[in-house]
Amino acid sequence: MTPPRIERVTLLVLAIRHLSVGVWVILALLILSAAALVLTDRSDSRDDRALSMWVFSPEHKLMYDPIAARTSDTDAPLDISIMSIAAIQSRMMSGFFGGLPTADLIEVERATIGQVFMGPTEAIGFTDLTPLLESEGLLDQINPPSLSPWSTDGRVFGLPHDVHPVMLAYRADITESAGIDLTQAQTWDEYFAMLRPLMRDNDNDGRIDHYPLAAWYTQPDTVELLMLQGDGALFDEHGVPAIDSDRNAQLLARIVSWCLPDGRVAVDIEEFSAAGHQARVDGVSIGNLCPDWMCSIWRMHVPGLDGKLKLMPLPAFEPGGRRTSVRGGTMLGIPTTTEHPDEAWTYAKTLYTSPDVARELYTLVDIITPVRSLWDDPVYDQPDPYFMGQPKGRMFIELAPMIPIRTSSPYNRAAVLEVRDAAIALVDWAQSRGYGFNDVESIEPRAKQLLERAQTNVVRMMSRNAFAALPEQEDREQ
Amino acid sequence: MSSPRTSRALFLTILLAPFVLIFSVFMLYPLAQSAVLAAHQTYGPGTREYVGAHNLSLLINDPLFWKALKNTLVYTLGSLLIQLPIAFALALALNSPKLRGRSIYRLVFFSPQLMGLVFVSILGVLAFEKRMGLVNRSLAWVTGNSELLELDWLQEHVMATLVLLSLWLYAGFNMIYFLAALQNVDRSLIEASEIDGAGPIARLRHVILPSIKPVATFVVLLSMIGSLQLFELPYILLDSSGGPSNSGLTVVMYLYQNGFELGDLGYASAIGWALAIMLIVLALIQMNMIRRQERLG
Repeated sequence: MTPPRIERVTLLVLAIRHLSVGVWVILALLILSAAALVLTDRSDSRDDRALSMWVFSPEHKLMYDPIAARTSDTDAPLDISIMSIAAIQSRMMSGFFGGLPTADLIEVERATIGQVFMGPTEAIGFTDLTPLLESEGLLDQINPPSLSPWSTDGRVFGLPHDVHPVMLAYRADITESAGIDLTQAQTWDEYFAMLRPLMRDNDNDGRIDHYPLAAWYTQPDTVELLMLQGDGALFDEHGVPAIDSDRNAQLLARIVSWCLPDGRVAVDIEEFSAAGHQARVDGVSIGNLCPDWMCSIWRMHVPGLDGKLKLMPLPAFEPGGRRTSVRGGTMLGIPTTTEHPDEAWTYAKTLYTSPDVARELYTLVDIITPVRSLWDDPVYDQPDPYFMGQPKGRMFIELAPMIPIRTSSPYNRAAVLEVRDAAIALVDWAQSRGYGFNDVESIEPRAKQLLERAQTNVVRMMSRNAFAALPEQEDREQ
Repeated sequence: MSSPRTSRALFLTILLAPFVLIFSVFMLYPLAQSAVLAAHQTYGPGTREYVGAHNLSLLINDPLFWKALKNTLVYTLGSLLIQLPIAFALALALNSPKLRGRSIYRLVFFSPQLMGLVFVSILGVLAFEKRMGLVNRSLAWVTGNSELLELDWLQEHVMATLVLLSLWLYAGFNMIYFLAALQNVDRSLIEASEIDGAGPIARLRHVILPSIKPVATFVVLLSMIGSLQLFELPYILLDSSGGPSNSGLTVVMYLYQNGFELGDLGYASAIGWALAIMLIVLALIQMNMIRRQERLG
């Protein structure tokens, strides 16, 4: 039976009066937080003309803030926000997927860009910068290989921030005291042969004290770096997978042979952990693969290496082969949803092609600019005490034009991981047959088989993409 | 003027409306949408292409999905067969009347739950590191074998690492359920069995286990569903990838990769439905088994 109205009101009052303390606390918090939100809301005070920019590096913000403040070409202020790469990735992609506004300028790390190119061309969330780059002559000024990761179908969707050539950073204090001149090593074979005498257990702890190279088959970035150096390409210029090429099989067999127990010359050292840094200080690895950006990381996190390292071009896989490689990269893109495309382009040019920023980029984080006309700056010739007084910047710049061309295929990451898995399987197989450092030719056929499997997997992934298949179908119909 | 019956119906409708509204918007509608999406390939919500049953046939022929499913089932078995017995053993130990400082032990075993999955995963990365990690250092120190420092847990023993970490995280959590059940076992039954000469094993088998069966069933079901939904732990531990040879790829991780990294919400929906159907079937099997046991007495 329904209680009379007056009784229901009485019951309600009684219920409210008997609410527990916890409920009152929650209600009080609710009212207080709502009031705080209303009082602190500054959305009305934001400048409507302001452009927003997302960056993932605090150093980048540090460099850009003063430049942005004195940019006179546009009167729109630039509001730069720092967030993690993952946060930028998820916010940016959510915006692109939903056609929603993101920022006016976004810095994108190379591992993220594949996702942008995954869908149909018309759904790419960044503005095609090719006409702007051509009309302003910037296309000729920028180091050509540095454009490749940010281009698809011959169109450039981002301004490159860097070149990221790779050198070998070696423990000169150890090699020189042993009377070894590593600069004479032209190839990896010569390099390993020169360092083999140092591979001893001097402290009798059951482990070898020094290995010639920090590189391991389970590190996908390292495997990709070395394969790129040796002209191994996982995709051709049209984005078609070429994972199972003979050259890739040769290179994979070589890299894996360095890690096999019989005659092993490589060692697994983590790159961004305290354990890895300590191992480097202890000299567990004599040689370390060093892109330009790594210099500032070591300077900051591994002071124990100060004055002990020297740089040299990477030894080549074969005599006369490429002496460098490339790793990582960042671009600046302008989302198609921006309401200020002209101002965004002005800022993009200023921040990425200005001599001041290029100098700061090198001074702060050891990164060399991709703008070739700025490479004459004397800042690159300054000796670096961390690297025993070497003119590090000039050494990287000399290698910059030689960095390998990289694919922008959205499936590159998947391909790299497949190659890493092939390397793991190859090591297991080679170990079970007792193969070692000198058995590259015996390992190669198996490497080829495993890469064929990797290729099949990547092709299967790609064939699932209905959007990638659409243009071909349209072409056939036309 | 409305009749009391109408007024009561209105009153009930007003009371139910918030739930029905929220349930419809956040559960029923997405559920229906995901069924529609499962027949499309998408690049985010804005771009879609109708593919019919293609996603389903892809799923059946997708070796990565089967790999993820196998990994998830191995982890689930590992969790059930290792974690639950340990949780039960801990509960038995803490239920002992002779034990002093029970609340401290309870807090110690339960504390990983207070830290949260993400923090435990980050700690796990450090603990299972080569050379400097706590696990390898301890193993090398205990055995005197320095080669154990090179044990690469996160590359070569991914599943073992996941099971060990989840053991640390969830054993204490499940222990609390078992402990609560043990503390509710009728003392008179235990005393009667003691008078009848039953030893500890017989008591455990014939008195304690039957008494805690409803709670044990609940814990098993909860662990099974939780294990099949494993995501955060391997995601953080393996740096958002499936690990070497996808040895740490789970079904939900694969769903996430497809839906939120590749933008294919259609294929992700198909994976989601496959997982949901599996969970429903498992739950039904388990409920059936319980009913049958109850009928058998």
